Amino acid sequence: MATSTAEATAAVRRRPAAGGLAARGAVASVLVIVVLLIPVVLPSFRASQATRAVIFAIIGLSLNVLLGHLGQISLGHQAFVGMGAFASGLMVGKGIPFFLALPLAGVIGALAAAILGLVALRIRGLYLALVTLAFGFVAEESIFNVNALTRGGEGMPAPRPPGFLSDPAYMYLCLIVLAVVLLMDWRLVKTKGGRAIMAIRHDERVAATLGVNVTFYKLFAFMLSGFLAGIAGSLFAHWITNIATNDFVLDLALVWVFMTVVGGLGSRAGIVIAATFFALLPILLEAIFPLLQLLPFINADMQGRLPRIVPVIGALLLVLTLTLYPGGIGQQLLPIRRWLAGGPFRDPLKHGRKHASRPAKRRRRRGSPPTPAGDGAATTTPTEAIVDAPGPAEAASAVAEAARATRPTGDGGA
Amino acid sequence: MIFTSILNGLITGTIYGLVALGLVLVYKGARVFNFAQGEFGTVAVFVAWILHTEPPGLPMLVALLLGLAAATLMGLLVERVVVRPLSQKPRVILLVATAGVAVGSIYLQLLLGEAEARVLPRLGGDRVFFVLNAALIWQNIIMILALVVIGVALYLFFSRTALGLAVLASSQDNLASQLSGVSTRRVSSLVWGLAAFLGGMAGLLQAPLSVFTPGFMTTTVLFPAFTGAVLGGMTSLPGAFVGGLGVGVLSQLGADYIPETIPGGRELVLFALLLLVLSVRPQGLLGKEA
Repeated sequence: MATSTAEATAAVRRRPAAGGLAARGAVASVLVIVVLLIPVVLPSFRASQATRAVIFAIIGLSLNVLLGHLGQISLGHQAFVGMGAFASGLMVGKGIPFFLALPLAGVIGALAAAILGLVALRIRGLYLALVTLAFGFVAEESIFNVNALTRGGEGMPAPRPPGFLSDPAYMYLCLIVLAVVLLMDWRLVKTKGGRAIMAIRHDERVAATLGVNVTFYKLFAFMLSGFLAGIAGSLFAHWITNIATNDFVLDLALVWVFMTVVGGLGSRAGIVIAATFFALLPILLEAIFPLLQLLPFINADMQGRLPRIVPVIGALLLVLTLTLYPGGIGQQLLPIRRWLAGGPFRDPLKHGRKHASRPAKRRRRRGSPPTPAGDGAATTTPTEAIVDAPGPAEAASAVAEAARATRPTGDGGA
Repeated sequence: MIFTSILNGLITGTIYGLVALGLVLVYKGARVFNFAQGEFGTVAVFVAWILHTEPPGLPMLVALLLGLAAATLMGLLVERVVVRPLSQKPRVILLVATAGVAVGSIYLQLLLGEAEARVLPRLGGDRVFFVLNAALIWQNIIMILALVVIGVALYLFFSRTALGLAVLASSQDNLASQLSGVSTRRVSSLVWGLAAFLGGMAGLLQAPLSVFTPGFMTTTVLFPAFTGAVLGGMTSLPGAFVGGLGVGVLSQLGADYIPETIPGGRELVLFALLLLVLSVRPQGLLGKEA
């Protein structure tokens, strides 16, 4: 879904010329090469810091399955990530090879998420947020403090697998996992399961009448999210090689949620970029600290507290995103994505050919059940995936304004 | 032993009840779960503490009042800057936004000051007296009195004043009350201001019991208060009292009687209670709708 037919036809009709194709290919390959070179070009400790961004991206994509695709919130994701991390550490400690422990950690995350998913079948909307919050607290205060499972406060060693001991090698490993996860998400969105999950987001009852097995796909989405979180937890554990209970706290779970929203729900590229930004912000700030000190309210003894500014900036970005750009970074990336996929850079819906585009746009704004995606165009509109939200990318357009104006005031989404 | 647990639970429960009151007020007014409710308390405490300890060192009572004022101001600001622009968005979006306010506030405190534990002086001194083997201090008595006074005041406000009626009316039917001349914007400001005032009150009463740290009201009180509000019914103000006190007692029993081999007894009890209420009686003890 998410591909308006007008956009699809516009993309098909205007095939880029040979030069355009070459330019697109060149830009795409430069992007890939830059990412692949990061671990080798950077000094080792920088590569280690960059690995954090990759792990955050996987966590963001895990949250995206719930927040973006299914439209349910999880404020307790530290539970799944932590469970994956401790399970992986425990298994590797017992002699199970890392490459078996990694998927098994995902399975453990999926099982835990299935429990929460069963609850989510009965409890919806805001109350589910409370339940996930409570679940996170229980994991934090109870499960992660059971010494037999986590060794309590002394920390659990989680050695890296042989062959990936160095920081650049481990970063490549994480990048490979991220690539697989991205591929999985792409295939999910393009196939029956993903469409079913997104139909549930739009309207559970309508989805059920269309023949979607709501129970199954809700549980499936929760388990997939838990699986990805568990895998991210395993990668995290073996990245810092020694994990403790207070590595997985509520604040972190909330920052992940902010990160996913800022990245743009449903937008893979946006989430990866936001994850990179959130994970590397402390390092960036440290680098420009001499400049920051010129600001009146920053003094030298703040340097040690610098990482604490990340949630503050995250909260600011979150509120700005929600109020001004509900589609997040994904919304900003839309022209680039469209261009890379072979379409025009400028929005065909806004510039020219207005007659073809208007009805399609209006249809989509009403949140109609998803239409099967055309194969040709990968120009999805990530913004549409905001939890039931109005206001996609073209929110500024007159049509959108009109639609908003006519909407009755008290449309409580939950 | 069990009496001590219950009494201690009731005392903690007063704070849960106060915070739950703020949560219910906002929920009735805007159908939002306000995750920033705890931070109103923390901010009030920090402002009072700074004004009292930093030179020139205002008297305690003045510092407390200014702390309350700061909390109320923060509530009004949140309403204006975050809630009102998002008022037409799905409720989940608003929930995430208030969580953003909470996290931003906590880490701003951490950024500007050290993470060390601080002490706010107690009202009425540290003298301990015993009621049936349970140790009490004056602060505890003040907490219980405050809850009673606030309860009566809120009851009178909602039942006897036109403004209170306007709040209830716009909570039941926003459009209809708008049509009968209620300024729903002013009602919204009032609700958030009042909720923040109650949150500030809860923080200032809670902090002197032990030490306080950045974000302490969010990390230790917010979740039990939510459970209390759900137990009493998210739409019932008396329910918030009952639920808060009930959760205080139950979680204290959980903390005292669940053996230490199972860590996190308090959280386990709260989680179980939340699931139980939501699956058996989602409208809560005294609420009318889920």
